[in-house]
Amino acid sequence: MNPHPDLTVGVIHGLGWLYLLLFFMNLGWAVHSFKKDGHHESLFGVKHVPKAVWWAAYAFMLLMLSTAHLFVDSDADEFLIMLPVWFKNIADAVIANPISFFLISLVIYAAIIILRDWWVKPTVAWVLFNLSVLFIGISMTDFDFRQIVGKPDNVPILGMLYLVGYTTWLYFYKSKENDKRIAEGRPLLEKEQSDQVLVWPDLVYTEMICMILLTALLIVWGVALQAPLEEPASAVKTPNPSKAPWYFLGLQEMLVYFDPWMAGVVLPSVILGGLMAIPYIDFNTKGNGYYTFNERKFAVSTFLFGFLPLWVGMIVLGTFIRGPNWNMFGLYEYWDVHKLEVLNNKNLSDFLWLDALALPLPKPDPTSSALAQLGAILQREGLGLILVVLYLFAIPPLLAITIFKKFFIKMGFVRFMVLANLFLFMASLPLKMVLRWTFNLKYIVSIPEWVFNI
Amino acid sequence: MNSFPSSEKSLVPEDETVAGLRTRCHDYEKYGSALFCITHHLHFVPITSPTVVMTDKKKLTTAEILALARKDKNAGGGSAEAEKPAETAPTESSTPQAKAAPKSTADILAAARAQAGAKKEASGESAKPAAKPKSTADILAAARAQGGGATKAAPAASKAVAKPAAKKVEAPVGDRPALKDMVAAVKESQATGAPIKPKLPVGRKPPVKPKLPKKAEKVGRRGFVALLAAIAITPFVLAWSSVTAILGIWSLGIARFMMPNMVLELPSKFKVGSPADFPPGGVSAKFKASRGVWIINSDEYNGKGIIYALASVCTHLGCTPNWLEGEQKFKCPCHGSGFYVTGVNFEGPAPRPLERVGIRLAEDGMLEVDKGVKFQEELGQWSDGKSFVDA
Repeated sequence: MNPHPDLTVGVIHGLGWLYLLLFFMNLGWAVHSFKKDGHHESLFGVKHVPKAVWWAAYAFMLLMLSTAHLFVDSDADEFLIMLPVWFKNIADAVIANPISFFLISLVIYAAIIILRDWWVKPTVAWVLFNLSVLFIGISMTDFDFRQIVGKPDNVPILGMLYLVGYTTWLYFYKSKENDKRIAEGRPLLEKEQSDQVLVWPDLVYTEMICMILLTALLIVWGVALQAPLEEPASAVKTPNPSKAPWYFLGLQEMLVYFDPWMAGVVLPSVILGGLMAIPYIDFNTKGNGYYTFNERKFAVSTFLFGFLPLWVGMIVLGTFIRGPNWNMFGLYEYWDVHKLEVLNNKNLSDFLWLDALALPLPKPDPTSSALAQLGAILQREGLGLILVVLYLFAIPPLLAITIFKKFFIKMGFVRFMVLANLFLFMASLPLKMVLRWTFNLKYIVSIPEWVFNI
Repeated sequence: MNSFPSSEKSLVPEDETVAGLRTRCHDYEKYGSALFCITHHLHFVPITSPTVVMTDKKKLTTAEILALARKDKNAGGGSAEAEKPAETAPTESSTPQAKAAPKSTADILAAARAQAGAKKEASGESAKPAAKPKSTADILAAARAQGGGATKAAPAASKAVAKPAAKKVEAPVGDRPALKDMVAAVKESQATGAPIKPKLPVGRKPPVKPKLPKKAEKVGRRGFVALLAAIAITPFVLAWSSVTAILGIWSLGIARFMMPNMVLELPSKFKVGSPADFPPGGVSAKFKASRGVWIINSDEYNGKGIIYALASVCTHLGCTPNWLEGEQKFKCPCHGSGFYVTGVNFEGPAPRPLERVGIRLAEDGMLEVDKGVKFQEELGQWSDGKSFVDA
């Protein structure tokens, strides 16, 4: 008996119910399509065929799939509909590699913005949704995927991803409509269809319904998914992997690349302060009270970059990809404690002194005077310190006279400097990550004597 | 003689005497003379408010009474002047605007009721009691007594009422005959048909003109309000006092927690065994769970075989790394920091090597670890002889 079976009868039946649910949803979509999508002039010689026939066919296929799953009673190992091994291997190799993982998240981020007019079409969005559900469904036929995604801790994260996707879609959907109206000189959607309602009863009733539904959801959730309680905490025993709460996984990922003081104190403070500073930095008066993208391209793109690849992406990475010893594991990969990842990291001073100059690192002599020690440290870390100072103080003026020229003129010196520094702090995270992955660079400035590392 | 207090004392507890009379009324009724009871009430707790009594024969509504009361007040019916009419009232005082102004709506209502009840019997009777009411309770008691028994009152009795009432004005309040005398007088009058003339106690000081200054009156009212306030506030005082006391005890208890009756840490020095227990190249995790140290015998740091103890605390954020024998490294599960067997960091974000703790060969040939001292490689402290023992 395989202790880690990819397929069991229970899993197959569960997938059957999932596909059945998807079938009903697509049946509804087929009706919707029949009413709205119109007809093909001619299809395979048949004239005037409604386009909804495709959806009907797809729904029928889902029904067959569901039946095939639901009527399995034994011999789960013989079941054929499962993820092929070659696909698993490719997916693992891509996902478990930080560079490709980050590239994928960047590509998705860029596609969300560049292809916004295409993917917000309801039909396209529906297709994407179907593909994602089918992907998760077929992935459930893998034991390790089930262990990770089906963990009671992680199920809500999956739900959260759909929520993030939906809200992003909703924003771009409404912006597209308004951007079109602005381009054509028509009034905004919010103005034209001003459907003002009363707080009482309209809003309060809606809120009450939401409250009841949410309570019901929480109860179902609490009953269906057991809280993953573990043994009592011990100061000398750390679970492996040891994960922060899901909403802090982005921070935990930052901690991999930065000194605790940077990733735990400085950067979170900058994030919070920066979010609070947005109203004072923002000089663009447009987009107030209505959805628009074209009028706020910089603001929305910057925010989405910080939110999607750098925050949600890091949560996904921390939840699903990080495994024992904080190594990266593919979605279909066994969490092997002894997985060997070569991560010999070097500081910038190592690169400079040991590799480039082929000299021993200047080491402060603990017996010498404080000034002499300082001199040795500065000699060792001088290059890194200069780079950091240049990054924070030379790049903003450069930006001001080049790509952010308009911003600088509109915002004035102080506001522009605040914006530029916040921007640079945000950019420091992906920069440091890429440097770590590509050059195994640990710290640009590393002064462990003072517990000061950048 | 004993049942009544002396005149000096009786000035103050008017309430008591009224209450006493009311109960005694029932006793008198045993004698078949409710009338007597009434007369005594009229005597001792006379109705004031000459205004109401004199002016109106018909029943008054509350609104009218209030209006009258206000009028009285406006007419200068201050309590200072209220004293005089109280003294002169009994002598056929036909002045409707007498000054004894009622003090409250309750007073007025009580007076009105009393008036209404007594009207039938008191027609033509001009001798009106003049003593000021002392409190609402007094008036109400008097009113009830009057209303209840007034119909039986005979003219003769009213005369009997009148006399003591008149007398009363001259005599101070509280100058009243003893109970025995009263009973005797009643019996006598019943027998002879003569009006009751209760004897005053013998040997008593001649009644002093009662100087009931407004001050005394005010003190009485203030005392009553103060009593009410005291009754109202008592539970709060009690509750807050007990809360304060309990909180104080709690605070002491919490302060006690700051000084627990225990040793907070295990002794920082402890024996781990003889050097022979730690063969070369071995990493012993035997004391990791209990003491948070690895005991290592290795020659990788300086090429010299030494035994040293590393604290099992990651220098990145303080998680506990694991020793991976196959990979020959310490690996932290939190952020992936890795350390060689020497403790030197080589992968992940840990900025500095693991810390050594003190170790020495004790006199008995055992290794003694001292967690009280730390040796950091980046500070050049690993060359310190206390941080290792030659294997």
